[in-house]
Amino acid sequence: MNFTDIIALAFRNLRQSKLRTTLTMLGVVIGVGAIVTMVSFGLGLQRNLLRDAFARIDLFTSITIIGPGADTLLALSDERAGREQENGGAPLDPPARVLDGAALAELQAIPGVRYVQPQITYQGIIRFGGRTRRLAIGGAPTDIEFNPRFSEMIAGRYLQARSSTEIVITERFLVNLQRPPGSLRPGGGPFRPAPLKSEEERRREAAAAIGQSVVLLTLPGGGDETANSVFGLPLPANSATLNTTGYEERNYQIVGVLRTADGLDFTPGGSALAWLPFAEVERLRQAQGDPLRQLGELIAGESGYQSLELRVADLSRVEAVREELRRRRFNFFSLSNQLAEVRRVFLIVNASLALIGGLALLVASFGISNTMIMSIRERTSEIGIMKAIGGSDGEITRIFFVEAGLIGLVGGVIGLAAGWAVDRVANILANRWIAQQAGQGLRQIDFFSIPWYLAAGAILFALLVSLIAAIYPARHAAKVDPVIALR
Amino acid sequence: MSILEAINVSREYRMKAETVVALNGVTVRIDPGEFVSIIGTSGSGKSTLLNLFGGLDRPTSGEIRFDGSSLSSATSREMSRYRLKSVGMIFQSFNLIPTMTARENVALALAFAGEGRRDRLERAAELLTRVGLQSRLDHLPTELSGGEQQRVAIARAIANRPRVLLADEPSGNLDSRRAAEILDILAGMREADRRTIVLVTHDQQLATRHADRIIRLRDGLVEE
Repeated sequence: MNFTDIIALAFRNLRQSKLRTTLTMLGVVIGVGAIVTMVSFGLGLQRNLLRDAFARIDLFTSITIIGPGADTLLALSDERAGREQENGGAPLDPPARVLDGAALAELQAIPGVRYVQPQITYQGIIRFGGRTRRLAIGGAPTDIEFNPRFSEMIAGRYLQARSSTEIVITERFLVNLQRPPGSLRPGGGPFRPAPLKSEEERRREAAAAIGQSVVLLTLPGGGDETANSVFGLPLPANSATLNTTGYEERNYQIVGVLRTADGLDFTPGGSALAWLPFAEVERLRQAQGDPLRQLGELIAGESGYQSLELRVADLSRVEAVREELRRRRFNFFSLSNQLAEVRRVFLIVNASLALIGGLALLVASFGISNTMIMSIRERTSEIGIMKAIGGSDGEITRIFFVEAGLIGLVGGVIGLAAGWAVDRVANILANRWIAQQAGQGLRQIDFFSIPWYLAAGAILFALLVSLIAAIYPARHAAKVDPVIALR
Repeated sequence: MSILEAINVSREYRMKAETVVALNGVTVRIDPGEFVSIIGTSGSGKSTLLNLFGGLDRPTSGEIRFDGSSLSSATSREMSRYRLKSVGMIFQSFNLIPTMTARENVALALAFAGEGRRDRLERAAELLTRVGLQSRLDHLPTELSGGEQQRVAIARAIANRPRVLLADEPSGNLDSRRAAEILDILAGMREADRRTIVLVTHDQQLATRHADRIIRLRDGLVEE
């Protein structure tokens, strides 16, 4: 008897007792539905958090090297003054390498390093479109060919080398400056929701910004103390109260708009809303730096950058470069290990969720066993007949395995559909609730994710559980003695 | 050479503490093309002997041979092959699968032999036509009379062209006219196909109707 015949026979047997088959299958449906719903929630959570980080592989080739802070420099200076004498003049190792020109050259020479770029930001006061805001401006390299951070332009182009009047802005820059005065600042942190607008609208708005002029307000000479500044630094203030009289104006022309990605952004310097050429930002910082840092550098007699961004040539060399950095006592941070950790946590969470759903399926498996045993009792004489006319033990066993397998398979598919339906309903309810709590206008979030491997895995698992549940009954069926069965 | 042989065959059943001896050293030889009736009262062991010939059961001691080769060492797989190909069985209670039509019941035996769906349904129709049921192909067993059901069972038994047909009280549930019809069909099977027929019955008259030879069993022994 070939396999198609066995399937056909199993199908007709299941149809013979529709109610019992349906009830047994319902157990599998609930089990698989529970697994799918639970795990899809975990996977949805994971996706929503890490979508961007995973999608942008360039994040993993980036290493942020952190220099000693101003406090450390001051402490180092004190210690050095006191301890160098005790040590007989031997120099002490700093707790973290100072990121000066020499360090930069050393890093650049490490094999596998594509480029090293100081990360500098400048807190500037910007006027654009009639609004004035204080925001972070990053220093962008203009002589590096490959720089994934600037690869996603929604409109315009990247900064041209050695131009000092061009500026690249981010989509968030536009959103930020379009906020009504006095409204809350967009939340900090690495998670950023995507703009609510449609893609065309985003493109149109970005394109409209190209060629417009951005005004940077700086204090003349640096040192004069107005009512709005301390140590020559403007006091942080909302635009409503920001007094901009007496500032010098610098004009920059927008040449490009960077796309704001959805999800987590671990990009070093990701908080900058606009980018000027590196040299330009450095010049601005020289004129008006962080007074504490300047003080620290002055006392410590050291100069250096707070942080560097190091780009590894390809993913396979990241570990080697990290090892080299460790050996050379650089203080650094990279995403690869953080991400592995996050993934591990999610694996545990998802496994626990699957386990809860799996329990439901385990209960269902007893139902399958029970149904099969009942069915075999009822069909003992039928089994006897099949044996008498030449059905082998193997064929009888297979018929019952296929019956159980069909219950598992069909139950699994329906369970998957049920899980999906529950997800959809829960998603609508959750989004409605969020809208009620937080007001309209929030992006719709999809809390659930059913990737192909969850769908396939759930069905296969249901099939497997059903087959295991059928082992005992099927063997029992094969052992039916035809002489007794036909008596 | 004999086609079926039982050589000094015993069959005992264990029932709790008791041991019931159904056959007690029986030796029977049946030649190809023979029509043999085995008669005896109930409990004489005649059905047990037929089940042993049919490969449904194995003797406690002694040997069953088919066409010269012993079934003693056959694996369960070989035994099912033997039941499928070498012998066909007919029972008193017909033993049709109640959820299948006449044609499907016959086709099932062909399915076990690995025949394709179209072929076996066609051949099932031919076989049923041969036993006079061409107008009853798609009826369920419950929609057929006893005689018709038994004819379906005969069609099923000869589906895989076995050399031996074993009939266990085939007319036990039928009135005398239907019983005679069934026996005539069996006799026809022998004439047309040179098939060996072994008939088990308690009815002396039926046993002698077509038989070449009669074997009497009593209390698990052959009466000479």
